[in-house]
Amino acid sequence: MFKKILVANRGEIARRIMNTCREMGIKTVALYSDADRDAVHVLEADQALCLGDAEPAASYLNIDKIIAAARETGADAIHPGYGFLAENADFAERCEQEGLVFIGPPSRVISELGDKTIARQTMTKSGVPVIPGMNHPESDPEVLVREADAIGYPVLIKAAAGGGGKGMRVVASADELHDACISASSEAAGAFGNGSIYLEKYLTRPRHIEFQILADSHGNVVHLLERECSIQRRHQKIIEETPSPAMTPELRKKMGDAAIAAAQASGYVNAGTVEFLLDEDGSFYFLEVNTRLQVEHPITEMTTGIDIVRCQLEIAAGNPLSIDQKDIKGRGHAIECRIYAEDPGNDFFPSPGKIVFMKEPSGPGIRNDCGIYSGFQVPVEYDPILSKLIVAAENREEAVHRMIEALREYVILGVRTPIPFLIDVLRSEAFRKGETFTDFIGCHFPDWKPERADVETAAIAYIIDELAGKKERPVADNRGGGYGSPWQTLGNWRP
Amino acid sequence: MEYRLKVDDTIIPVEVKKAETNTMTLSFDGKARNVQYSRISDNQIHLIIDGVGTQAFIAGDGDEKTVILRGVPYEVRDADLSRQTRRGKRGPSAMPREVTPPTPSIVVRILVAEGDRVNKGDAVIVVTAMKMETTLTAPFDGTVTKINVVEGDKVMPGQILADIEKDEEEPTEEQDGLADS
Repeated sequence: MFKKILVANRGEIARRIMNTCREMGIKTVALYSDADRDAVHVLEADQALCLGDAEPAASYLNIDKIIAAARETGADAIHPGYGFLAENADFAERCEQEGLVFIGPPSRVISELGDKTIARQTMTKSGVPVIPGMNHPESDPEVLVREADAIGYPVLIKAAAGGGGKGMRVVASADELHDACISASSEAAGAFGNGSIYLEKYLTRPRHIEFQILADSHGNVVHLLERECSIQRRHQKIIEETPSPAMTPELRKKMGDAAIAAAQASGYVNAGTVEFLLDEDGSFYFLEVNTRLQVEHPITEMTTGIDIVRCQLEIAAGNPLSIDQKDIKGRGHAIECRIYAEDPGNDFFPSPGKIVFMKEPSGPGIRNDCGIYSGFQVPVEYDPILSKLIVAAENREEAVHRMIEALREYVILGVRTPIPFLIDVLRSEAFRKGETFTDFIGCHFPDWKPERADVETAAIAYIIDELAGKKERPVADNRGGGYGSPWQTLGNWRP
Repeated sequence: MEYRLKVDDTIIPVEVKKAETNTMTLSFDGKARNVQYSRISDNQIHLIIDGVGTQAFIAGDGDEKTVILRGVPYEVRDADLSRQTRRGKRGPSAMPREVTPPTPSIVVRILVAEGDRVNKGDAVIVVTAMKMETTLTAPFDGTVTKINVVEGDKVMPGQILADIEKDEEEPTEEQDGLADS
């Protein structure tokens, strides 16, 4: 097993990876940018190296600096987390060349699965169902029009190198196609340096269901059941759960087998996620493989009891999987809510700033993978994720109640968070009934504003906060050293 | 003695009738509420309102406080003070009159040069915050007289990134605090 692992990431995920490293007796190296000197992952690492400027290209995306840091600290492996370089085939290849173990799949696999059209070809050959559409990128508008006619509208334009919704366009009819292709291609070129696009049939009301897979370097592949991640805003997941409310044992078997076939077809090694869309008629289609540790991996850990990061390290060290498919059982139900620094009442606009105060929820079945603390300045340079709140309970209904109460107990002051929005989603009838489709937010919460039912209590709290003095700053010359009476400290009174 | 508080857009008059150590009687529209309280920390207060316990989490100063009650944030302001304190605090949905970012951001692209003519709504500068790009547009027809930033600069709400001289027309008066009246 490795002696020292460098974690090429930041915040909650770097912290989560280092937790497992510590449990396994492995030393940890954190990297940080100028904006992250006081970030949680720096505070908890055995060693920490500064990469320099906050801009990602100069720090967390800078391959030369990261390789040099691994050399300098004597790390024998690099864990890329998610985002940043996690799905960068060049980075994985560079690690391979430098004799460092990249904790993830081989660079060739990342590269082949990263190109969506090549991935579709691979899956088609192996009998994994793909969404009807093109298996080659195309730039000729004439050809695209013909392809779209063959697929049938509405169609979805996607970037071959895509991800995160960039370069994606839904096109309802032929006369919109030409312009949409041009703008999608230009957006993809800007985002990925590759303007290749292709077309797929657009499914209007699917569920997003994915399977966690583990594949070792000895040819063993298992899946750790499914996660449903249909609740999304701007093509980003915000609530995930396992099991999926739409799942049946038969469907799970079929989709699980397809996920394993997808992993085998691509020569997959390490932990990965095979994403599918499940249509209302029960048919499912391969979407893509995420060749990394997934943001929402904790819900799978909560129901299976398996530490996925530990599995990643074992696999990367060349050890065979110690579990069989038949040993993998999900127990109960788990839900994750992503807590971003953003304003849910204002189109989820980012809300960077300083965490003035925070209080984490606790109790049975509650886990908070957290990247912030009271006093932490949330940088504007990076992803707005602050933490991931995860709960597990015996069944879905109990898990929903547990999550609602945990959210109510979770206090973050200083930046806006989606907590009140998440509470309303979980309380909604549609969510309770498991009617979770990818259009959920647009459909049920198109213009959400918080319901402020207890205005009087808020007013009371305001007045008492004004009058009761601050705990850490006793009122000067106050008899007996207590707080000043309201009559001494009165603020903005109207006589 | 009374407060006039504003929660969202509702004015709430509150009369503080009696206050003793850790106890107050507050009256809302003639309805008296007995409140016992204990300050736990600068940001946390325990309340017992008419016998029912609850916790409030608070940040901010006298002009505007955020109060979180069971996961729901309330923006509470003193209605008499708030008039002059509301500048530059609008979200991105408000109609801007200046080229300024809605949140702390980084300048990604500058799309105009000094001397350029712009029409209202034209893209002027693109900023990014937390991986989300926002295009700042010209608030009116005019001429770009000065660019105050370069790409890569960190900028704050209220900071004017580009000066645009408005085309000659009927002079309109700046109407600060319009929404608070």
